[in-house]
Formats: sequence, C-alpha cells, structure tokens
Amino acid sequence: MTTATIDVRLTGVRKSFGAVVAVNDVTLDIDRGTILSLLGPSGCGKTTTLRLIAGFEQPDTGDVYIRGKRVTAIPPYRRDFSMVFQSYALFPHLNVADNVAFGLRMRRIPSNDRAAAVKNALELVKLGAYADRHPRQLSGGQQQRVALARAIVVKPAVLLLDEPLGALDKMLREEMQVELRNLQQRLGITALFVTHDQEEALTLSDRVAVMRGGVIEQIGAPREIYDRPRSEFVAGFLGASNFLDGRVVARNAETAVVETPAGRVPVMVEAAAVGDKVRIAIRPERVRLTDAQGDGLPARIRNIVYRGPATHFYMDSAAGSLLSYRQNAAADDWSIGDEVRCTWDAASAVVVEPERA
Amino acid sequence: MKRAWAWALLVPPLAMTLLLFVGPLMYLFWVSVHEASPSELYGHAFTLHNYVEVIGDSFYLAIIRRTLGVAAAILGCCLLIGYPVAYFVALQPARRRTYVLLLLLFPLMVSNVVRAYGWVAILGRRGVLNTSLRELGIIDAPLDLLYTTEAVVVGLMTILLPYMVISIANTLSTLDRRYEEAAQALGAGPVRTFLHVTLPLSTPGVASGMLLVFLLTLSAYVTITLLGGPRSKLLVSMIYDGVTAFQWPHAAALAFVLLALALMLTALILAVLRPGRVEGTGR
Repeated sequence: MTTATIDVRLTGVRKSFGAVVAVNDVTLDIDRGTILSLLGPSGCGKTTTLRLIAGFEQPDTGDVYIRGKRVTAIPPYRRDFSMVFQSYALFPHLNVADNVAFGLRMRRIPSNDRAAAVKNALELVKLGAYADRHPRQLSGGQQQRVALARAIVVKPAVLLLDEPLGALDKMLREEMQVELRNLQQRLGITALFVTHDQEEALTLSDRVAVMRGGVIEQIGAPREIYDRPRSEFVAGFLGASNFLDGRVVARNAETAVVETPAGRVPVMVEAAAVGDKVRIAIRPERVRLTDAQGDGLPARIRNIVYRGPATHFYMDSAAGSLLSYRQNAAADDWSIGDEVRCTWDAASAVVVEPERA
Repeated sequence: MKRAWAWALLVPPLAMTLLLFVGPLMYLFWVSVHEASPSELYGHAFTLHNYVEVIGDSFYLAIIRRTLGVAAAILGCCLLIGYPVAYFVALQPARRRTYVLLLLLFPLMVSNVVRAYGWVAILGRRGVLNTSLRELGIIDAPLDLLYTTEAVVVGLMTILLPYMVISIANTLSTLDRRYEEAAQALGAGPVRTFLHVTLPLSTPGVASGMLLVFLLTLSAYVTITLLGGPRSKLLVSMIYDGVTAFQWPHAAALAFVLLALALMLTALILAVLRPGRVEGTGR
C-alpha cells in the first residue's frame, strides 16, 4: 500500500464558516483504486471535506492535490473528479443518455466515441434499455445508477460520492453497496465516500476515516476501526460497545488485567501502564455468557431482546450495564433476572480514550 | 367524503366562471356571427361577414401585424432586460430577495394612466427629452417620439417588465443549486453551466413570464391609446373603436380574432419552450 500512487491528498486543510470551524486541520491520502469513507454524524465536516476536494468550497488554509497536482486555487470544472450527489441532481430536461453524455460533451469528446462510452457506461449499471427515458420516469434506484454512470463515464481521477445511497430503502441500499463495490474494484476507481451509515462505510471501504467536529478521530481499515477503536466516540459510533472503567493492575507485553468495580477483566494493551485509570470497550458480540458458577464478571440479566439472527442480553453489573449478542444457533436457557458471568478474550477488549465530559 | 367536499368547494368558482365568463363569451360569439343593426345590439341575419372583413382586409392585417410586432418587441425586450435582473434577484439571500421584489412591484402601484402621461411628458414635442436635446444643441427641430409604435413598446415594456422578472426570479431562486454543481463537476464552466443547465431549467419561469407579458400586451389599452395616438393603433384600439361606433358584431368578431391570436401564440410559446420537460426534480 505504501508504494501505491496517491490520487487525492489533503494537507492541513481547514475551513470555517463564520465562527464555525467545519473542517479543522485535516490531512489525508487516498491511494489509487481504493475507496476511503468519511464517516461521522451530521455536522462533523465530512461533506465539507468532500466539497473542498471538489472545489465547491475553498479552504482557509492547507492544500488539495488531485493526482499530484495542486488544485487548491483551481475551479471545480477544471479539476479531475466527478461526483454523485445525494439527490442525484440528474438534469431533468435531459434523457438518461444525454445525462450520461454531459461530462463527455463538456470534455469535447467526438460524438461517435461519446455514444459508445455512454452505451458502455449504461450497460455497466444495467440500464442499457433506459437510454431514452427521462429521469422522472425512473425509480430511485435507477436514478441512482444513472448518476453513477454519469460520474464514471468521464473516467475521473477520483469519484466523490456524497451519501449516494442515503435516499434508497434498506434492501436496495445493501444491494447497491455490493454493486458499487464490485464496479469500483473492476474499474479500479479511486473514490471518496461520504456517509453517516457505519455499516455502509465498513462494507464499501478500503479505509474509513471517522470524523467529528471537523477532525479525523481515527483512520484505518474497516476491521481495524471496528475492532480497535481508539476512542469511546469511535467505538460508540461504529456499532454498540460495552464501556467499563477500571485501573490497570498487571500487564505483560500484549495483555493486561484491569480491576473494575465488578472484578478483574482481561484487556489488550496499547499504551497503558500499571496503575493507570482506563476506560475499556468490548463489542457485545465478543461478550460470552456462562452460568453463574463459572469465571468472569458477574452480572444479572435485565432484559432479553430476540432479534432474529441474534438475541441481545441487557445486563446490570457492579461495573455498569453490559450488553451481549448471542447468535441464535444454540438454545438459550437464560431468562430475565438470572445471574450470569461475562467473559471475553483479552484481544476483544481495547483501551479507549474516554469521552470528554 | 373528502372528494365530495373537494367538489363542493369547486362549485362556487365554477359557477362564477360559467356565469360570468363562459356564458358572456358564447353570447359574444353569437353576436359576432350576425349582421350589424342600426337600432339593436345585432341584426337578425346570420353572417360570417364580420370575420371575412377582418381577415380579408389589408388594413386589419396591417393592424394584426403591428399588434404582433409590438408584442414580439416587448417580449424580446422584457426577456433581454428581465433575465439578468431576475438572475441577480435570485442570487440574493431570501430576506433581501423579498425587498428587491417589493421594489420591483412599486411601479405597479402607480396607475397606468398616470404612467402613460408620464411618458407623454417625457416624449412629447415639448417634453423633457426633446427640450433637453434642443437645449444641448443636438437637434434643431423636435423629434416625433410620441404617438409612435416605439413609444407604445417602451411604455408597455416598462409596465410589464416586473411580471417577467418576478416569474423568472421565482423559478431561478427555487432551482436546486446541485444541478449547477453537477454541471461543474462534469467539467462545465460558468458559461456552459448557464447555457446547458440553468437556462433550460428556468424555462417554466421564462414561459410563464412570456405568457403574462404577451397576454397583458394584447389586452393593454390605455397605454396604447395615450402613447400610440391615432397612428399606432393595435387590435384592442380597433375593438374599442368598433364599440364606440356601435358596430357591435364587428367589434365582437375582432375580439375573437384577438382571442384566437392569443391562444395560437400561447400554444407556440409553450411548444417552443416546453416548460413541462423540466418538471420532476430528477430525484
């Protein structure tokens, strides 16, 4: 990965609107042929970051590079990118083929080549038969595909996707995620994907950057972000997590033991030293339940929610509330009020930076 | 039940329209296909003479041509002047836009009669313009500015311009900026973004503005009479003349010729601009 060509680079980019700092000193690279997701709650600066790359916004400080070329002072229409909008922004006065051809026309591609490229792009998104339709005659999912075809047909250095699946219903969204990912990998597209949906970010990306308050909190591969969140915010934003407070009482090279009000628990160690007060995070699906006679953190079941593939156990312990997901393969024989023990592998519990209160 | 209520609410305006518009219109048509009568509103004999007279007479054809020419000139001027103004208005923040639009409406609060006399005072032989030009030594004898077709065009254009501006500004200000951004993202600079995206997407406003201006031009009377004088009469003036001469069937036929022209040109404007193609947000 380190030898890969970098298609997009932001260096120390900052952007404020009046007194509000939307993007604060963001630095990131997107390698050729990969998708980077910007993930975060609304107002975290992810869309502004995308618009800075597009050139719809100008950074106060810092620089934007596309394919090694500094584009900070260059208007959007001279930058090598294309974009899929959340609202698709298909031109209502043009039919599907003309919408897709728009970028080629602006690039003054001869009409023969244009027609072939449009046909090819529409076939890629499986809309070959819809060339003559108008956007309003298409379903949301079809419009989405047209928007995608319009953006990829110009073979941009980077494809910017601003919550492109946000307007679709859940089933269609999941289908499009897979399709988009396949297409991106097949064509070797470099893309920036803005979303507030953590599942979408995990499914689609080579790397995920979790943003909050204009700052990138953590950036890494989906698995890394999910399994080893650096902060309580990241752990909480990407799915559910159990948080426990305690003090490190023993440690070796990789693992440590943390003393919590409910007992001692194992944890994977990054930088904590013996005696440090720490907050640890454990994913609910990593929390195993055993009968009260066994080892582990004692807890009492407060609530049980059947969720189809899994059952969620909500528990109270002396260290706070706990949540465990159990796959519904085996018969579950606990009920509300039962005393249980919670255990996990040291590798499943990470020390996180606590939320600033 | 809800449907029944909806229909019930429709009854009063529908009855009004039938009683006060469709009915009289049909009666007017009835009048127009009869002979003139010296004592009655119309004679007994049925005739198409009134229409044949209008369509077959080069005098009336010249009037029709002039009417359409004036309408075209006013439309062109309103569009050329109005679009940039509307674009500017649409770019203003919502609050300021309201004030700017209010400002544009102010002239409409002054009676057309007063405004026409204003133009008389400016364009007349001893008007502001002629006097100034003479004082400056640019001309020796006063120019014939008043009582010309040009005077009618200028006078009507200034009255109707706000309609054009407001129609286009409304469309432009509700236009999703994402369309323009999408065009830019696809490599279109400001000029091509305007030509390929903004302009076509503003056709509903352009069409409604053109229709308003066109139809108001056809039905304007005071401005035409006061600024056009006896030499620059339009169809409306001829209808009025017909009525004052008690030529009721003749005037009625002229009214229907005017209506037919209005309908035909409305259809033409809609066919050329096709504002309907922009409908639907593309979402």
